[in-house]
Amino acid sequence: MSGPQRRPGEWVLLTYRLPREPSTPRSAVWRKLRRLGVAQISDGLVALPAAARTREQLEWVAEEVTDAGGTAAIWLATPAARAEEERLTTVMAASRAAEYQALITAAAAAAGSTSDPVARAGIVRRLRNELRAIQRRDYFPPPDRDLAEEAVHTLADGPGEALAASRPDASQSRSPGPGESP
Amino acid sequence: MRWATRERIHIDRAACAWLIRRHIDPAPVFVFVADPGDVPADAIAFDIPGAELSHHGGDCSFETILRRYELDDPVLWRIAAIVHEADLDDQRYDAPEAPGIDMVLRGLSMIRDDQEILRLTAPVFDGMYEFCRRALLLGREPS
Repeated sequence: MSGPQRRPGEWVLLTYRLPREPSTPRSAVWRKLRRLGVAQISDGLVALPAAARTREQLEWVAEEVTDAGGTAAIWLATPAARAEEERLTTVMAASRAAEYQALITAAAAAAGSTSDPVARAGIVRRLRNELRAIQRRDYFPPPDRDLAEEAVHTLADGPGEALAASRPDASQSRSPGPGESP
Repeated sequence: MRWATRERIHIDRAACAWLIRRHIDPAPVFVFVADPGDVPADAIAFDIPGAELSHHGGDCSFETILRRYELDDPVLWRIAAIVHEADLDDQRYDAPEAPGIDMVLRGLSMIRDDQEILRLTAPVFDGMYEFCRRALLLGREPS
């Protein structure tokens, strides 16, 4: 992946323009682009690494823009320089890292404040959904990805198990924590 | 009748093809094109940007076809919810089945061509239809 000969990869670009009013379609489009995890290159120009799926998703957003009276076009393009591509991938990875960190914070807060197993299960379900949504738009995984998975697992395992899992020698055996009946 | 869609089909196009065969045209011929401009003049396009039978107003193509052909069978609308979430994942519907069927279709697209995927998924959608039909009649999960 990282040899000196590596060429920049192919990207799918959406260039679009929407009337400022009404604002509802504008914000709907923006929400969709955020959910897809696009890199914003400039005003009205966003990018995703090219693949059948990413291209299709952006094509549907383009359709939505034109349905709302705007203009949009889809391009396949290659950055002329590696540095250009690195700028995009760095920004995308940093955005995902921030989302993973927010998830880790939420998991830690829940672990500290919720001992009721039912309430905790509800939070675990919500965080798992959120984790999946972030992972779907994570094209250049930062190290925080694994940490976020771990944080949700730990919360799901409950307090006793979490303690056991943090002991390196006990990570396989899943022995009950102190004060917990076997 | 001839029906044209984009090549390298996924959940929405596979489900649309099944819907067309079961409820609109019993002897359809499906053509897969790389570019929207390659749609034959005598074919009806679906799930292609710019086509009438594609994504509109937040609907996926399956939902658009249900509306255009006035198919108001609630079982088909339950399948539409699953297809919509598998395709768009925008939480418009509660469809926990969606990630599973999404994975099945994405995996198939890695190992089979489009015509073969239509052949393989037809009984899958038939089965989903029967399951949803019984669930709706019973008011609970069928066994």
